[in-house]
Amino acid sequence: MPDRLITSLVMMTSLGKGIATGYLVFVALGLIIAFGVLWSTKRGRREGGQGVDIERAERAEPWWGVFVVVLLAILLGMTIWRAPWFAEGDDPRDVQVQVTGIQFGFLVQPTTVKAGQNVQFNVTSKDVNHAIALFNPQGQMIMNVQAVPEYTISRSYTFTEPGTYTIRCFEFCGYQHHKMIYPAFQVTA
Amino acid sequence: MMTTAVPPVAPGALPYDDAEMPLSLVQTRTRRFVLRVIWSSTAFLVVAGILGLLLRLRQGEVISMGDNFWYAVMTAHGLGAFIAWAGFFLMGITFWVLMKVGMPLRSFVLPEVMYWSMMLGVVGIVLTTLLSGFGGSWVFLYPLPFFSAGQWSDTVTGIFSTSVLLAGVSILAYCAAVLQTCLSPALKAEKDTLGQRIGLTFGFGLLFPSRFKTKRGKIPYPVLPFAVNAVDMFLATLPFALLLVFNIVQSVNNGFSINVLLAGNLLWAFGHPVVYLLLFPAAATYYYLIPRYAGRELVAGKAVAVAWLIALTMNLFVWAHHLYMNYPDGENVQQTLGTIMQPTTYALVLPSALSLYSIAATIYRSNFQWNVTSKFLVAGIVSWLVAGLQGIINATAAFQDTLHNTLWIVGHFHNMAFLNMGLLIFGAMYAFLPELMGRPWWNERLGSWHLWGTIVGAYGWVTCQMIQGLEGAPRRWAVLPSEYLTLTHISLGFLALLVAAQLVFAYNLWTTLRRSPFDDPKAVSVLGGTQR
Repeated sequence: MPDRLITSLVMMTSLGKGIATGYLVFVALGLIIAFGVLWSTKRGRREGGQGVDIERAERAEPWWGVFVVVLLAILLGMTIWRAPWFAEGDDPRDVQVQVTGIQFGFLVQPTTVKAGQNVQFNVTSKDVNHAIALFNPQGQMIMNVQAVPEYTISRSYTFTEPGTYTIRCFEFCGYQHHKMIYPAFQVTA
Repeated sequence: MMTTAVPPVAPGALPYDDAEMPLSLVQTRTRRFVLRVIWSSTAFLVVAGILGLLLRLRQGEVISMGDNFWYAVMTAHGLGAFIAWAGFFLMGITFWVLMKVGMPLRSFVLPEVMYWSMMLGVVGIVLTTLLSGFGGSWVFLYPLPFFSAGQWSDTVTGIFSTSVLLAGVSILAYCAAVLQTCLSPALKAEKDTLGQRIGLTFGFGLLFPSRFKTKRGKIPYPVLPFAVNAVDMFLATLPFALLLVFNIVQSVNNGFSINVLLAGNLLWAFGHPVVYLLLFPAAATYYYLIPRYAGRELVAGKAVAVAWLIALTMNLFVWAHHLYMNYPDGENVQQTLGTIMQPTTYALVLPSALSLYSIAATIYRSNFQWNVTSKFLVAGIVSWLVAGLQGIINATAAFQDTLHNTLWIVGHFHNMAFLNMGLLIFGAMYAFLPELMGRPWWNERLGSWHLWGTIVGAYGWVTCQMIQGLEGAPRRWAVLPSEYLTLTHISLGFLALLVAAQLVFAYNLWTTLRRSPFDDPKAVSVLGGTQR
């Protein structure tokens, strides 16, 4: 079991760990407040439920709404520019990799790139919707792109680490969906 | 003996409450109708739950199952659990809560259409998935229904689409029935015009009390989420119905096809709001029940009315967050929609945040009546908070490289659907069944076992899925990569506990149904006496 937990930490990307940390912090805060409210009913029983200024609580509600809006606005400001369609830089691409999904496999061309190269993946599909999820040699998912029939979606990535990368289909595409794996995308030194 | 029915609040505290309602045929028919929906939806829960368990057992390599059958089971489980159990139950209970706040049904035509179209739709879905092998998932992302790789025919796709369309008709009938009820003369508007009724139903009476007056005092808060949901689901179901009609046409005419991106947008224009088909009636039921256990009126003011107006409008403009990863080169529409719909999705946090504030303020230092029912409700409310936080994460486009189509999403919606709406549903059963059936629950201790077994079992299971998701485990894979197997096995232990808790509930319910009728007329607060 300890080995398993260590493996989990390795498989999560830094973004995944960040999401988990932020989520747990807010859940903890929320639970503390929730249990505080529930605990207060012990006092409420002694007071016969008459110890609270209800009108004051109602007046405070809009301010709670404002607080939530401000928090969300901050999160929006921090993240919207990192949306996949904004995150693509203007750096020149060193190599183009064509990835085509077709029930139930991927056509990848070329299959080898060099570490340090800025690689543009041009992703499409011949039949139904697929998605390419790119896993690094440690098993971390580092990129996720839809493969939509009749359209191409481009996404760039600069590989820093040589090794064998795996592509898994991440959009349900039929009864062999879980076998739609390309196990041998090579990044050389 | 567990005799708890919904407790009345202090006399006069809720002038709109059932105290002034006459006992009538409408109430009796409503009771029978709601009971019928409860039993039907609970039967669907049994089937959908067993199917869900089979899915996870196969992922844990405990049982074997054909690949396509696994995906067919997945399709049936998704639609069965979400629409046929939770959605259907909450659609039915809507009319009971509305009646209790003084808004009885005006007609039983639409509710009967709702009931029978859902029943027929579910039968069709079960037949086409489990018998005919349709395994396109509950979203059956176009054009997958027509690329089955030999697993099912276009005819099956047509029948499946028709069946889902029938479920859509059920939702439309429900929405129409809710609006017919909410906009009725029961509002007792001082100036009884349609404009006044609409204004009162959607909370303008709270915002502008001098312009929207009633002879009955404040409009009951549960009316707001019910009415908002009815409008939104009516509008959101229409594009989905169009997509289903396209599927039906293509199933008989192979030359017909539609644009893939258009199909995705039509799907998600319904596929996200349908979450609120569950959440908003759940919110309304919390609004109704929590004050009764707290012994005071819901602590809510104008802010809640504003929040529901935001929900009314924004709910229809959030679908593209399901298409964040569909941003084709040279096609700016999806990127623009994605950019707009991250903040609109965030805006939908407000109704939840303000509702949670109102409920918390209602409970705070109240003389709260703790029993199995209220504990189920409180557990559901806490889950609303937890799952809501997950929802904010999911709505953030920048996080999709890590979250898109992973088991995190599956864990999230089970957290929301089962541990929020599901716990509310169980709470509503404990609260309402004594007065609906005219007999008390048999055993409170078994109710507590049901509660804690469900909470520990379900949270253990969804937490495993969420961790797996953050590790990159894909959703909708019949066989997961081996590195995820350990957590799948751990989750099966929690699922065993969850199943055991439901068996305890079933035994308690079965024994309750076999006991003698209720003999305490005071506990049957609404109907004014024992009802058979």
